[in-house]
Amino acid sequence: MSRVMSSAQKDRLFTPARIGWSLLLLVALLAPLVVGERQLFLLMTVMTLAVFATSYNIILGYTGLVSFAHGAFYGVGAYSTTLVWLHLGWSPLLGFALAPFVSGAVAYISGLVAFRAVRLYFALLTLGIGQLIYIIVFQWRSVTHGDDGIHGMDLPTLLMPATNRYYFLLGATVLALVLMAISMRSPLGATLQAIRENPDRVGFLGVKVKRYSLAAFTLGGAFAGYAGAMFALMNRGSFPLLMHWTTSAEPIFVSLIGGLNSFAGPLVGAIVLGLLRDYITRHFLYWSAVLGVVLLVIILRMPGGIVEASQNLSGWVRRRSEGNGNGSRSEEAGNGQAGNGQERDDQ
Amino acid sequence: MLLLQLLTGLSRAAELFLVAAGLSLVFGAMRIVNIAHGSFYMVGAFIAVTIAGTIGGSLGFIAAVIAVPLIVGAVAAVTEYVALRPLYGKEHLLQLLATFALMSIFHDVVRFTWGERPHRLRAPEILSGPVEWSGFFFPRYDIFLIGAAVVLAFGLWALLAKTGLGRDIRAAVSEPQMLQLVGVNVPRLFTVVFALGAALAAMGGLVSSPRGTVLLGMDVEIIIQAFAVVIIGGLGSLRGTAVGALLVGVVFAMSILWVPKAAMAMVFLIMVAVLLWRPEGLFGIPER
Repeated sequence: MSRVMSSAQKDRLFTPARIGWSLLLLVALLAPLVVGERQLFLLMTVMTLAVFATSYNIILGYTGLVSFAHGAFYGVGAYSTTLVWLHLGWSPLLGFALAPFVSGAVAYISGLVAFRAVRLYFALLTLGIGQLIYIIVFQWRSVTHGDDGIHGMDLPTLLMPATNRYYFLLGATVLALVLMAISMRSPLGATLQAIRENPDRVGFLGVKVKRYSLAAFTLGGAFAGYAGAMFALMNRGSFPLLMHWTTSAEPIFVSLIGGLNSFAGPLVGAIVLGLLRDYITRHFLYWSAVLGVVLLVIILRMPGGIVEASQNLSGWVRRRSEGNGNGSRSEEAGNGQAGNGQERDDQ
Repeated sequence: MLLLQLLTGLSRAAELFLVAAGLSLVFGAMRIVNIAHGSFYMVGAFIAVTIAGTIGGSLGFIAAVIAVPLIVGAVAAVTEYVALRPLYGKEHLLQLLATFALMSIFHDVVRFTWGERPHRLRAPEILSGPVEWSGFFFPRYDIFLIGAAVVLAFGLWALLAKTGLGRDIRAAVSEPQMLQLVGVNVPRLFTVVFALGAALAAMGGLVSSPRGTVLLGMDVEIIIQAFAVVIIGGLGSLRGTAVGALLVGVVFAMSILWVPKAAMAMVFLIMVAVLLWRPEGLFGIPER
């Protein structure tokens, strides 16, 4: 489908996307040389948000499902990390490695329940399940310390300086994004997109739609837990507000800002929303209203997000510059959205 | 003791019904999951505090009861016109996100106007104090709440079943395209429905205030419970909303007696259980 690159593009070494990714990585690698500790924490927040939102994109962008339990899976990942430290005395790194599996398991069980329903009722069922998990964590004081949260988790000495922690989380981010990109380029990713476009037809082909949707839900939940563990390492703690239902709205907004129909969308959105929110909260007393207005304007004026807007722009520029060249080149130039649109027209 | 707790549960159900009925109405007619619904509940409570405080006494409370739904309904109508009308016909997710953005905006409007301090709304003299019945003392205000909800429920039913507006709303629930074709101004109908739903939420905020505090953040608190109610009852069904509110209110009040910590969890357990049994809620229409 749209995200499968044409062979011509695969052969070219310097595609705009590759140049963009490389530049971004370079900036991220060099950032600690230039910025102070506060900005480093901001960048770590952005990276965590990027992994969180990309994991949500597997569910929303690729499979076309709206879930409100994602914040809960995120919180379960964070608590997996802090709880094994608090009660078992394990290294948080071990908890970090464990987190995606715990969250994945919770997501799988939640999914078994939630996939009894479809569309809107599915979304509302995930809202109930997520809220149930939140209440359990909130009320189970003896284990989770309730609304006080868990603070001051010991990290290995190597990770205590902010710069080291930054590089560790950068490595974790790259690993997560690469793993998610690979799985979304695999036949699994293609099947999920087909389910998003037309679940009935995919079902007629003999594909078990529910099983694949559940796989996407589990995979997304696992990486949400991974992002939650990143949060726990960054802040050396966890608290129940992490898994409140409003947290689940965050990746939706990130995807909206960046664009739902691409792998890079949530990453771009996380960078924009992360920096924007930091700026607004520091400069406006009434930041929640300002942020709300900004989001509302984006919804009303730019519903395709930044990536789509830039793709449309670059596709348009390239079509212009190649002018009367043969049609096939300009067709692949407008890859993402144009290709997508054509396939939809065919149906 | 048990009887008293049952009454508390019923009056809680009454509050929940008012809020959830508006949510269900807006969803049924407009197919919008309105997350900002809790904001209208909160704004209603705060405006009531100001009106009742300015006028004072029982008269202040009565003035609030009359003015609050009108003011909040007007605010909602403007909101719908500016922020939601351009999104009809687009993806449902965008509409949902827009109402989420509205919630953050209203949160700060309230913070700006009334501050972060908790406020109190006093019930008028006649409605406070206990009532004695065969040796038991019941809070008079709880009985008033239940009565008010029953009256409003019948009012809503009459509006939907007996008036032209109600006929149009019911038509919008089942056949929105046809409604446009037979010459009904659907966008204007939606504005009216949205304002009506918000007025119900504001009324819920007003009447529930004397039993607690009026506080920033009560919007997020109530909306999640209102969702539980309409989901259990079935989205878009008035009867379902009433049953859902009764179930949630009474179960919550009863579990507070036995398992206080798990009371809220019980509500969501019921919700999940009901959806597993009937994915469209008790009285809902299956998703098309």
